Amino acid sequence: MPRREPVRVAVIFEPGKRIKLVWFERNRRQHRVVETTYAWQDRVGDRLEQHFAVTDGESLFELVYSPLEGTWTLVAQQAVA
Amino acid sequence: MNGWDRVIMHCDMNAFFASVEQQCHPELRGRPIAVIGTGRTVVTTASYEARAFGVKTGMNTWQARQVCPQLIFVVGDNRKYTDTACKIVAIMKYYTPFVEVFSIDEAFLDVTASINLFGSAETIAYRLKAQIRHQLGLTCSIGIAPNKLLAKLASDMQKPDGLTVIAPERVAGVLERLPVKELCGIGKKVEKQLADLNIFTCGQLGRAPVDMLARRFGVNGEKLVMMGRGIDDAPVVPPEDEEEVKSVGHSMTLVQDITGREGLAKYILQLSEMVGRRARRYHVTGKTVHLTIRYGDFTTLGKQQTRTSPTNDSLEIYREAMVLLDTFDLAQPVRLVGVRIANLIHETEQLPLFEKERKKALLAAAMDEANDRFGEFSVTFASVLETEEKGSHVISPAWRPDGIRRVDVK
Repeated sequence: MPRREPVRVAVIFEPGKRIKLVWFERNRRQHRVVETTYAWQDRVGDRLEQHFAVTDGESLFELVYSPLEGTWTLVAQQAVA
Repeated sequence: MNGWDRVIMHCDMNAFFASVEQQCHPELRGRPIAVIGTGRTVVTTASYEARAFGVKTGMNTWQARQVCPQLIFVVGDNRKYTDTACKIVAIMKYYTPFVEVFSIDEAFLDVTASINLFGSAETIAYRLKAQIRHQLGLTCSIGIAPNKLLAKLASDMQKPDGLTVIAPERVAGVLERLPVKELCGIGKKVEKQLADLNIFTCGQLGRAPVDMLARRFGVNGEKLVMMGRGIDDAPVVPPEDEEEVKSVGHSMTLVQDITGREGLAKYILQLSEMVGRRARRYHVTGKTVHLTIRYGDFTTLGKQQTRTSPTNDSLEIYREAMVLLDTFDLAQPVRLVGVRIANLIHETEQLPLFEKERKKALLAAAMDEANDRFGEFSVTFASVLETEEKGSHVISPAWRPDGIRRVDVK
């Protein structure tokens, strides 16, 4: 998997700056988000990044939202044992 | 709360790094895990499931695996932990502005003036615990007492997910048979010295003659007696009231032991750049440059040199550190190296008078600007590019959510 893979993501921007992930699409397969297990922020230079650990029930994915660029990328995937 | 002059809370996150990883990775929940670093690996934090087998912080991975064969090692992600710590402090500040961050996973809160708003200290504690659990999925142990010493003691009494109150009228009873080592600030060395004086419990410590302890411990003798009686006047100090820092430094444990000047130089340059950059960001300069070396056998030595003028220029710090390095015995392999500037002057910025100096300052400013925008070490010295791990990889005990003590770790 490339280090950062652009993905299509469906999200709900909720009141209180909360971002709720609904699904994301990778290799033409839609993964419905069963649970957002953790969320954290990181800063690379002046660029803020929001990280989300999500599971579709089979795997755990780390998705990154860059508010400045308005992009979503997949940075990690791991099977849920 | 009758009889309470102050109401102090100590909040201790339970197995912090391990709990964050268990929350993040559902498959790890309820299982024995140990969070480790990259490179040379020791256990940073173990989950409660792992602790039940005897896994402890500081064990190397081999020792940990020996006591718990089914242990799962997880490489920690410091950015996750520092961001979570900032969120927890933000939750705490809803209840009181007097929050003193003690370390990445511990904080003191002075809630004396907040009782009228929220009803009681227990209510605040329950709400705080509930918010942390709801928003982050983490648990903490909270101690409530009339001072910091006792609040910290109380939070240690019930783990995980505990709430313990030591009311003023219970202090003497709680301390009477409590071993002195349970008090924060009494380490193994002091415990041994007290044992030599036949003092084993806090009750005995509180009744000990001050003169006797002053002969052994100097000015700390009286403080120890007060600790034995559960007396501690130290205030909860929020960040804005903290004393100015006395030094700015970075250290790193090398991926493998290095022998010789050449091999160490690039790491010292990297550390000098990290120190210089942080000093420039917070407008401090230092007159003294300090170099620390830890050999493979864990012998640690430090040497320092005071300059005629203060600096925060990375290359000047590096040159001073290299002069110091040449005074060390480098035949032995080196495990850790650290660079620090001290004797700080705050909020000073002098425009260089001479062309050469001005060019150096402009170069540093240009590099800082590029790194501010694109991230640390985007522009750096060529020899630093060769180093495998750039930047801080360990959360220092002095880490704070804001200001000069905030170090962005990787």
